[in-house]
Amino acid sequence: MAGPITYTEQELVQALKERNNQAFGFLYDNYAGALYSIIKQIITDNSELANDVLQEVFINIWRKIETYDQAKGRLFTWMLNIARNASIDMLRSKSYQNSQKNQELPDNVYREVTNHTIIQNVDNIGLKKVLETLRPEQRVLVELAYFKGFTHEEIAEMMSIPLGTVKTRIRNALLQLRGYLK
Amino acid sequence: MNVQEYIESGIIESYVMGLASEPERAEFERLCTLYPELVTARRKFEERLEGYAWENAVPPPPEVKVKVLEAIGKSSNIITLEKDKEPPSPMLPKIIAGAAVVLLIAMAYLYYQTRQQNKDLTDTNSRLKVSLDTTRNILQRIVDEQKDLVSNPNVTVVNMVGTQIAPKSSANIYWDSASSNVYLVVKNMPKLPNNQQYQLWALIDNKPKDLGVFDATDDKVILKMKNTQKAQAFAITIEQKGGSPSPTLQKMQSMGKTLQSQ
Repeated sequence: MAGPITYTEQELVQALKERNNQAFGFLYDNYAGALYSIIKQIITDNSELANDVLQEVFINIWRKIETYDQAKGRLFTWMLNIARNASIDMLRSKSYQNSQKNQELPDNVYREVTNHTIIQNVDNIGLKKVLETLRPEQRVLVELAYFKGFTHEEIAEMMSIPLGTVKTRIRNALLQLRGYLK
Repeated sequence: MNVQEYIESGIIESYVMGLASEPERAEFERLCTLYPELVTARRKFEERLEGYAWENAVPPPPEVKVKVLEAIGKSSNIITLEKDKEPPSPMLPKIIAGAAVVLLIAMAYLYYQTRQQNKDLTDTNSRLKVSLDTTRNILQRIVDEQKDLVSNPNVTVVNMVGTQIAPKSSANIYWDSASSNVYLVVKNMPKLPNNQQYQLWALIDNKPKDLGVFDATDDKVILKMKNTQKAQAFAITIEQKGGSPSPTLQKMQSMGKTLQSQ
């Protein structure tokens, strides 16, 4: 290796906006793992579709980099939200729903393999690990809001609790999570 | 407003993690422009979240990168193709139109230039015609004069021959005894410096009379000199430009005696 090229976030964003392929390669190599982690925390049981989402996420980053506004947050925050939204969209898509049905078919060797990875990953990675530190009534709300993509209103309705309470509990849960992110 | 309280409401985490509602987001972004400490707190949480995500990264299967780069390559190819393709359709008519305009201007210019040249040539031509007519008239007059000189019985020809200092100098005097007109035809006179001229004299009773100056370049032309009724001889001397009141006889070039000398 001739020494890896490194970018500051500023330089990286600039290079990406200039459609620099090398910068994009750097971006993928450095961030794909972190983004794949959040994708797999949302799409817990289908690696194939998680891979598809990761692919889609990076293509969208490449295409939408112009819309990224540094005043509103870090590049990673922007990408993380793209990954989260794409994963939730996948959860709600027909192809995901169909894959759920397919997995119920017996004697599926492929399923064995994927299920194996799922078991390995479930509840063990990323924010989900931190989630376990929360009280159950908080944990379920964060799970529904952050990992399933339900709005506060939807959750209030689902759980039959006031909207204000949903909001406060989620906010308090997030504040607690912040304490663990160290 | 109490910024610390706002920060402790969990808005930052909610905003960064994409859980804030649209009005909450808008309010937060607005307040960030007013309170730098909000931006600082936001960045701090973002960095924590990012750091945690890196620590908990899950390496994706390598084939995903291949597919992504393939898709990016295609999409950037499409972008370049579109960029390449796009220009010709609107550009070609522009080029043709541009070329047509250039051609039109060039043709107009050529037309104008040709017309101008034509006008110039016509003008020159008429000027030359006028000049030719004038020259013809002059020539005719000279021919008439010459005819007159040659045919006039009163004209005597005096042959001027070179002196010792200028043996080759020669000229003819045509002298009309009736009208007293004197004409000079230079046959061979050496060229003089610019500050000198030849001067013709009539010798009357051994006294010189100025008959005017001429140049060697005036050869083969009939020059009308000053009149004289009498002359025993004609002489040509070299004098200062414009002539002298009396001849410099040492520089006499040629001389011819008339019948009156006898």
